[in-house]
Amino acid sequence: MNSPKKQQLVEQELLSSYESLYRLAFTYVKNEPDAMDVVQESAYKAMKNAGSLKRGDFVRTWLCRIVINTSLELLKQKQREFSRETIADDGREDRYCDFDTIDALEILNEKERAAIVLRYFEDRKLQEVADALEENLSTTKSILYRSLKKLKVKLTEGEVCYES
Amino acid sequence: MNHNLEQIKQDYQNIKVPDSLKQKMEDSIKQAKSDMEREKIPARPGRRRNALFQSWVARGCAGVAVAALLLTILVNASAPIAYAMEQIPVLGAVVKVVNFREYKQQNGQMEANIKVPQVRVGDENGEVMEHASRALNGRIQDYTDELIAAYEADVKASGGEGTQAVDLDYEVVTDNERLFSLQFHQTVTMAGASQSEKIYHIDKQTGNMVTLKDLFEEGTDYQALISENIKQQMKEQMEQDDSKSYYLEMDTEEWNFQEIAQDVDFYVNDSGRLVIVFDEYEVAPGYMGVVSFEIPTEVVEPVVKEGYLGD
Repeated sequence: MNSPKKQQLVEQELLSSYESLYRLAFTYVKNEPDAMDVVQESAYKAMKNAGSLKRGDFVRTWLCRIVINTSLELLKQKQREFSRETIADDGREDRYCDFDTIDALEILNEKERAAIVLRYFEDRKLQEVADALEENLSTTKSILYRSLKKLKVKLTEGEVCYES
Repeated sequence: MNHNLEQIKQDYQNIKVPDSLKQKMEDSIKQAKSDMEREKIPARPGRRRNALFQSWVARGCAGVAVAALLLTILVNASAPIAYAMEQIPVLGAVVKVVNFREYKQQNGQMEANIKVPQVRVGDENGEVMEHASRALNGRIQDYTDELIAAYEADVKASGGEGTQAVDLDYEVVTDNERLFSLQFHQTVTMAGASQSEKIYHIDKQTGNMVTLKDLFEEGTDYQALISENIKQQMKEQMEQDDSKSYYLEMDTEEWNFQEIAQDVDFYVNDSGRLVIVFDEYEVAPGYMGVVSFEIPTEVVEPVVKEGYLGD
């Protein structure tokens, strides 16, 4: 597959799955402008680097990976800015209260979160999740298993909190 | 899937995707394509001329990109060799912006305002140095023609329905014995934009355009010397200031800054030192803007040709 063809493939995939990519970004950055930035930036990167795509059927997971990496970069950058501005750290912010349940994903680390979102929310195949995470199948399975367990604890805890 | 997970999934699916996202993403795609098209020309195998990680963080609905173009004429003080050549350079040559043309367009929500200066290079007797003048004016013309063509293509492609503003202005930033530098400020405002920088140079000894490699002795690895120094500066800056960030030692190896290109943008500053300039996003995240590094002369001293840099 030559580069223009790969680029075409990437473009098609971007146009058909940008909404999923946006939601994926949103679970990381948690607000609209940042999630939009991430998707735009990812689209740009993907188009420019289409040539490095190895196999056509990886394009979806490849895009997910770019979105995740871009989200993390943005968070890292924000954290830097934030830590300069903040004097005292008095606990968590509550500005995401509209998404109580999505907040539950906070308990997961980056990989775990991506695994849950892709497997259960985006209904991707296990193999695709593994590709996106750059892990093998059995590792991916154990990441999912671990994530579900963590979530369960967190959600049970949450219920007690929110309902009391 | 258990009940709770189902609930998260529902919330997840309820995340509202902004209506404007599709358009913005299409702009990104278009931008990437046109950037790649543009980069094809100077591309050389084996060199990372253009940053793989070029992108932007557009805030709100409009991204503003500011690009600057510096035209620098190296007025070379060491003349002896040049007398042997046809285009004889003259010490104390005078470079002036004599007039400018203006390209003004308004198409609905799209507008362009591009100033095209004309430069006159004269010798000490006030005679015009045709060759040098033509070379520089030709480059200015090429540069602005490209900008105008890109704007007109965008107008055509969108049927005049797009939103875009292109603005080009200039100023003389340096005018001393050795250097005359003309800086162009290019501002392109649209949904997505990326910033680029170009600096052209004329060696007034010969009237020829020069690039970085012409400043160094042939066969020397000036690129490695300069690159090492830049990496060191990046590291130091990041250690001293948390808000600074460069593409260095990142997880994604291919995005890291490796080495400058043979014809990377540069200029020689007032202190006679070499300054390497990188486009926005080329070696650092977008919020860092255009970044530049002043290279201590002792770093390149062993390989630089005489007469270009100060002591």
